Amino acid sequence: MRDYSLIYLNGVRREVRGRDALLMLADWLRREEGLPGTKIVCAEGDCGACTVLRSFGGSEFEAVNACITTVAQMDCSHIVSVEAMARNGELAPAQRAMAECHGSQCGYCTPGFVMALSAMLERHESAPAKTVANYLTGNLCRCTGYSQIIDAGCAARASTAHSVSGRFLEPAAVVAVAKAAEEPFQIAAGSTSVYAPTTLRSALALAGSPAPCRVIAGATDLGVQINKGAPWPQILLSLHLVRELNFIRSARRHIEVGACATLAQLRRACGKAAPEFARFLDLFASPQIKNVATLAGNVANASPIGDTLPFLLVAGGAIHVASRALGRGPIARRVIPLTELFAGYRTLAVSHGEIITHISFDQTVAGETLRLFKVSQRRDLDISAVNAAFAVTRSDRPLSRRRSVADACAFPMIASARVAYGGIAATPLRLGAIEEMLVGELTPHKVESIAAQIAGSIAPISDVRGSADYRRVVAANMFRRFARELADG
Amino acid sequence: MGDPRPADSASVDELHDSALTHVTGQSEFVDDRPMVKGELHCGIVFSPWAHARIVRLDTSAALAIDGVACVITARDVRHNLWGPIFEDQPLLAETEVNFVGEAVAVVGAQTQDALRRGIAAVVVEYERLDAIMSIEEAIAAERFIGVERTIATGDVEAALGSAPRTLEGTLIIDGADHFYLESQAAVVYPRDGAQLEVHSSTQHPTEAQHVVARACGLHSHEVVCIARRLGGAFGGKESQATPIAAWAALVAQKTGRAARLVLTKDEDMIITGKRNPFVIAWRCGFDDAGMILALDATLRSDGGAYADLSTAIMERALAHCDNAYSIPNMRVRGRVCRTNVHPHTAFRGFGGPKGVAMIESVIEAVADATGRDALDVRKANCYRPGHEVTHYGQRVDNNCLPELFEKLEASCDYRARREAIRQWNATGDGSPRGLSLTAVKFGISFTTRAMNQASALVNVHTDGTVQVSTGAVEMGQGVNARIAALVAEEFGIPVSSVRLAPTSTEKNANTSPTAASVGTDMNGAAAVDACRRIKARMAALAAVLSKTPPERWPSKTAGLGTVPEIEVGEGMDGPVDLTALGIPFAQLAFECVRSRISICEHGRFRTPDLSYNKVEGSGRAFRYFTQGVACSEVEIDPMSGAVKVCRVDILMDIGRPINKSLDLGQIYGGFVQGMGWMTTEHLVYDDNRKLVSHSPSTYKIPSIQDTPRVFNADVIVNDGNTQNIRASKATGEPPLLLAISVWTAIRDAIQAARTRPGAAPAGEVVSLAIPATGERVLRALSPELFESVAARR
Repeated sequence: MRDYSLIYLNGVRREVRGRDALLMLADWLRREEGLPGTKIVCAEGDCGACTVLRSFGGSEFEAVNACITTVAQMDCSHIVSVEAMARNGELAPAQRAMAECHGSQCGYCTPGFVMALSAMLERHESAPAKTVANYLTGNLCRCTGYSQIIDAGCAARASTAHSVSGRFLEPAAVVAVAKAAEEPFQIAAGSTSVYAPTTLRSALALAGSPAPCRVIAGATDLGVQINKGAPWPQILLSLHLVRELNFIRSARRHIEVGACATLAQLRRACGKAAPEFARFLDLFASPQIKNVATLAGNVANASPIGDTLPFLLVAGGAIHVASRALGRGPIARRVIPLTELFAGYRTLAVSHGEIITHISFDQTVAGETLRLFKVSQRRDLDISAVNAAFAVTRSDRPLSRRRSVADACAFPMIASARVAYGGIAATPLRLGAIEEMLVGELTPHKVESIAAQIAGSIAPISDVRGSADYRRVVAANMFRRFARELADG
Repeated sequence: MGDPRPADSASVDELHDSALTHVTGQSEFVDDRPMVKGELHCGIVFSPWAHARIVRLDTSAALAIDGVACVITARDVRHNLWGPIFEDQPLLAETEVNFVGEAVAVVGAQTQDALRRGIAAVVVEYERLDAIMSIEEAIAAERFIGVERTIATGDVEAALGSAPRTLEGTLIIDGADHFYLESQAAVVYPRDGAQLEVHSSTQHPTEAQHVVARACGLHSHEVVCIARRLGGAFGGKESQATPIAAWAALVAQKTGRAARLVLTKDEDMIITGKRNPFVIAWRCGFDDAGMILALDATLRSDGGAYADLSTAIMERALAHCDNAYSIPNMRVRGRVCRTNVHPHTAFRGFGGPKGVAMIESVIEAVADATGRDALDVRKANCYRPGHEVTHYGQRVDNNCLPELFEKLEASCDYRARREAIRQWNATGDGSPRGLSLTAVKFGISFTTRAMNQASALVNVHTDGTVQVSTGAVEMGQGVNARIAALVAEEFGIPVSSVRLAPTSTEKNANTSPTAASVGTDMNGAAAVDACRRIKARMAALAAVLSKTPPERWPSKTAGLGTVPEIEVGEGMDGPVDLTALGIPFAQLAFECVRSRISICEHGRFRTPDLSYNKVEGSGRAFRYFTQGVACSEVEIDPMSGAVKVCRVDILMDIGRPINKSLDLGQIYGGFVQGMGWMTTEHLVYDDNRKLVSHSPSTYKIPSIQDTPRVFNADVIVNDGNTQNIRASKATGEPPLLLAISVWTAIRDAIQAARTRPGAAPAGEVVSLAIPATGERVLRALSPELFESVAARR
């Protein structure tokens, strides 16, 4: 059993013990390691000023937010901060491009942009503006208006000499990290004990013991809550070393996503099996968040506006949980459909000691039309005011068999429908009554009466993201948009 | 780590002076300073109520916590009131709190954990009082800050009475948060005796120095304030950095230990003031051709609980109600309302954008009413030969506005795109699109005359390198790089031989804030003044040296006593070209010192020819105007009201730029900042006037995805601005006002959708507040949907 979190910081081995293990990575870098290049601005993962590069267990380097993740969670990782990017006094390509293209004004966001851009250059020799913007969606700048930053991103060329993997993934260090990853840790950090078991069995033993225990995977929301003043739980159980929970499996009809699989992994895996969901994931959170956060976490967080939830509700989503009675018995498993999961505002119908092992959802099948919508104040990287998912199967005659003009002009015939919304109540909801109304011919008149029914039947709240009436109108408009897309084919 | 350089060192001259340390993470900001032994973390106990009497304040429980070093309250402050114009704001509330976020106590603690517990343990009991929550409530209660200001020309009432047509409207403009990335921060070190060394993220080190000294019962010569660089400011650190520095200083003074106060983003947004909200009511008289004959406008701003800079902001708003347009009869009146919300403050544009948004919205309304294209209305009313005097009587010299309109109209293909959009919108099937081309004419100078002065210290060293320190604070805008370029040009040396030192009240005292876009204009001119004095002395020696054999130059002889030493008198008058004398600069510098000739100098600058009288609202208010035009095209998603800015073309007159790349950075950045204010940046308060949108998860500044896909910015050649240093023009604030074109384009799209055949009946004037959030746009676009939802409830 280890009593430390193992980090290779800019190539140098660090074993972090005690209270320091529960420092946010950015605080640790700035205060304990004397590396203040990594900035802290929002402390909630929304601005990217704290971006560093991380390789977990020798994997490819990815951008992560250092302000909302603890040193303990970064166990078995290589971390590279902005200070290490220049090599023998020679700027890394991202640094050089940002300087020469005037991508930096006040300089406070700059280290974060340099690191996010460097993550791009680990995967791309060079990139067009669209790719550059996608890699930098999680970084806010208030000075430049981004124009010259995009120029910098387009001008940057990856160089072998500056490859972060090449420079920092020393074979010996990768072996050492892999070895450490097979050994669980327990760190006493003040009044909190942090555990990182390596098997589901031992994780369940800890979760099932009577002491209240917080199970985390990406913990991107917990980090924010802690930064904003919430107390640490007494026991923190991190699943990052439980390899049996880090998988994405594609079965014949559905996809299974392990509790430790990140949203970035999921995005890469479901491009073909659930293309609409994959597209939606591109609007959802920043690269830095997606490189850490998990689908299981998004579900377990049980936010009424969780962006994956309407999709899972219409796509036959289910969570698979495991437990051991009192932490000692054999492993028991059960499946909870998403439709039965949310007991109330931010409350899950799971019991003490149960851990989500994976989440399953149906692949999108031929003949099914699936559309996902979200409306937020800002299109990208914003929490939704309302989100929605529509899945229908149609019973229209195929175009080739339509004989008459009247046939060609016919309205869509809906055989079955599933509709789910978020942001309209204390939990995300399937709208059964609307689903029933949808079946049959979808005439313009019917579209309007369903839209009115949606607007009238939901009970959203007014808050910082919009008034209740705005949510009602938008919810109805989402349906109108979907219906129009169906009609337009 | 060494000092990284790009491979191509020739390009270095054009870079921001901190570009290389920014990208390597080596640039030091206030909170990057290493903690010294015993240094205390400081935090604020602030009011949870908009208006309340403090019934009890008990710090004993907090002081009993292990690690809490001190709790400062109003009783510890020697001189508690401060303010940049009126001294009306307590550093720490004593008997009453007047806004949510008003500081009541400062806690100093050894650890972050002790600080958190200490803050929670300070007991403050309040008795809630009635609060003024809005401009309307303040007007009803007659609660104002300062007097009403008026600027008038012609006879407005008569002209409104005789105008063929009239319109009236009301424009609601919400505030906006600066969202500088670096939150307010200060670190204060106690020094020998009672002295304090203050490191502050402030645009106004002199004010911080003075307020710290008074708060601590010290004299100004016992306090030094240093501002190395700011992680963004945009006006938000002009006055509001001052109390932060004072709070940290009070802890440092009381404990004798270093004290660090860095606000979290949430605290910063809750506590500090924003751009003033405005409500502007206007009446306009015009003819069928769209010529504006008369404009009467009443401006009311929300100043918040204390005066801060709000009266000066109102004065600039009034002076910008004309914008680019000559209006023969005009009367604008403005007054600041006192409410129970954080005291609002400077923000890029400083009132100018409010006046400009008003007149640009009036033009849109006139265009709608006359059926003319808004661009034609603008061009017809534009300042032009024979019509070049503003409502406050200043002549618009070197007027480039007609040229800018003509050039951008052509280069952005306005007419063809207007027609294409008309056709697109006529189908009524897609997402409504809008197009608008607006202008800016921004007056450059502080409207308060005394602030139009600057000083600079230039130290030439004997190796030919130069250190410069001015009153200007570097906050990303590139003032250091521009001043370095000016100094290098004066001395004929490479820019790399010039370094700008941290701004410090020890080097330049009694300075003005770095604000009003004039940082380079004034401080650059002061630096050049110093350079010229030094050059004159160097040239006098060079003239003697050129007639002296090199072996008898001071560098060879001084101190040896073998030959008579060279003595040189006062120096030369007039322009001097050091390079023409053929002696290398470093050599000459060395010879000067050996000859007891100083190569260090203080330069000074005071802006000439200002005559504006605020009481009468007339006179020469500005040294010159920076001008520009922008054309924005937007598309509205009818599902959500969300706005996409599809294309932006900007053309500006910025004189003869000192550094065009940095100026373009100001243009792009200022525009996008303004675009955020026009669209997604929405300050939401609860019923108690506590800000609810106090972090980036709820307050949405533009992201990289919001940058217009097509974004062209260019400048015209204009060598005619001889009034300013090197014929350049200021670029800090003016581009922000061009983003008003995004808002007028949204309005244009809504107007098109609402007047389409078959659409729901439109109101007379599309009423759209700033910012045009998705919800506001959807309400304006589809009022019938909201009505039916409301009816159903």
